[in-house]
Amino acid sequence: MEMFIDPHIHVTSRTTDDYEAMRKAGIVAIIEPAFWLGQPRTEAASFKDYFSSLVGWERFRAKQFGIVHYCTIGLNSKEANNEPLAEQVMELLPLYAGKQGVVAIGEIGYDDQTAAEDKFYRLQLELAKEMDLPVMIHTPHRDKKKGTTKSMDVSEEHGLAPNMVIVDHNNEETVKEVLDRGYWAAFTIYPHTKMGSERMVDIVKQYGPERIIVDSAADWGISDPLAVPKTAALMRKMGVPEEHIRLTCYQNALTAYSQSGQMDELDWLNAEPIDQTKKMSGNSVLRGGQVPRVDGPADRVEN
Amino acid sequence: MSISNQVNPIATIILSALSDQVAEKSIVWLAQKREKILLSEKEMDFFMAFSQASRYFKSIPFKLSVDQFHESQALCAGLRMDLWSQLQASRVYLLLQYPAADSASWKSTLQKLFETGDMLEIEALYSALPIMPFAEEMIGRAREGLRTNITSVFDAVALNNPYPSTYFDESAWNQMVVKAIFMQRPLFKIQHAEARANQELADIIIDFAHERWSAGRNVIPELWRFVGPFINSKNIEDLKKVVEEGSELEKRAALLACSMSDFPEAKSLLEKNGEIENEIESGKLNWDWIGEEAMALA
Repeated sequence: MEMFIDPHIHVTSRTTDDYEAMRKAGIVAIIEPAFWLGQPRTEAASFKDYFSSLVGWERFRAKQFGIVHYCTIGLNSKEANNEPLAEQVMELLPLYAGKQGVVAIGEIGYDDQTAAEDKFYRLQLELAKEMDLPVMIHTPHRDKKKGTTKSMDVSEEHGLAPNMVIVDHNNEETVKEVLDRGYWAAFTIYPHTKMGSERMVDIVKQYGPERIIVDSAADWGISDPLAVPKTAALMRKMGVPEEHIRLTCYQNALTAYSQSGQMDELDWLNAEPIDQTKKMSGNSVLRGGQVPRVDGPADRVEN
Repeated sequence: MSISNQVNPIATIILSALSDQVAEKSIVWLAQKREKILLSEKEMDFFMAFSQASRYFKSIPFKLSVDQFHESQALCAGLRMDLWSQLQASRVYLLLQYPAADSASWKSTLQKLFETGDMLEIEALYSALPIMPFAEEMIGRAREGLRTNITSVFDAVALNNPYPSTYFDESAWNQMVVKAIFMQRPLFKIQHAEARANQELADIIIDFAHERWSAGRNVIPELWRFVGPFINSKNIEDLKKVVEEGSELEKRAALLACSMSDFPEAKSLLEKNGEIENEIESGKLNWDWIGEEAMALA
């Protein structure tokens, strides 16, 4: 079956119906960037619990549906504007950034492009460098073109290599510069607004598949968790070569984020959970020779 | 503080076993982190090392020699390090290095670890409960672990772990078994099930079975193990029903439960099924067998 990666989706806000549909559509792995929750947080502990859920509960939820869940850790640009709180969140980040399955610092960058946003963006670029992790940049929805350029300028000022940075939420106006400067260019497919699948097809036709990444950024707003497989289907219909579909809807995201050392194709190709209570024969002192069970509906937990 | 005074015998076994199965650079890293944790006494150094162990150790089986296994049993009976992963073992090793001045500071450090841990980190912590300093004061934390719906975390507390049978009072024990039944966990991996069986638990289980049957659903056959010693004139009807209407496995489980009882009707129910009674007497049919079969069918 065709495999997809959705490298930007806020599944915390999605239902199990979505998870089922995603797996059915071929999504094998997802990346959930730390972001804001709609309602602004007022306590550092709310961030702590959120980060913990990204490496804990949500990982488990995804696994029940046969999807491997990774995440990025970061302080988003909107909430960077609450400076006293942002300072406390910065102290939490090192605790999470080094954890298994954390594939980048993100999503970080600019929203209103304020001084506070700039300060915490820079501090987090330094953290990414120190941790040797890629960066996922959220480009602003307003004043996007200038904000995108500035995001890259500042990143370079801090000495990050473009190949370690994924610039997200691109459009026709930003893509050329992002690609020319050597960055990964991610595109969020939004139903109704901004980037639709049709426009995405045109971009892949024009720029080719190199360093282009498709994602859904599905969250608590109007959005489509199946945007990646749907865009792939449209690309096929419109005559985009198979290899270009594979690169933009699977391989490029894997190549970009596996630079973290925390994402490996074997995680889903070889998805048999290593359940230490059911080891294969020979390894156990007391018992051996059982056939491990594949995770499936039987493992879904009643609440 | 002298480093050599801190050696914990379980940590010694873990280090020696790991040394035989991982790359040398991983052992060097572990030694560096151990020193750092001991000398700095800063929580953050410990927390970072605990997380970043995943960069040096894998989630693949941790192999213990037969001697190492027996040595560990002498130190903590029922500790099943042979079922751990290498990563889990490395994290428990680091945990055992952390200098715990007193129970309050230990509990506070552990609380932070639990609150910020990822799934595998939390599993490692729960599996280490029986060998932790101040283990007897971690009961509240262990009970918190039972409230999770993350199967692997629940299992780390409840299954293949001597902590619950050693430290839980009856209410915590019953809470654990009932939740394990609800989550359809392999009950035969709960240690000392027979020793901790009690009337209250048997009654809760019977109510649970009735509730499930009313909804047209089945219950896991292993559950009858916890009813066996408490068969009485009331619940014998339930066992009869299972023997008459249940699958082959359910029937065997109900009769095995009857063999744990002195209640006359339970004995006669067993006698009526001579073939299965023979399987029980020969030792072929036991709770491990029922559990393994149930797992294979799941």
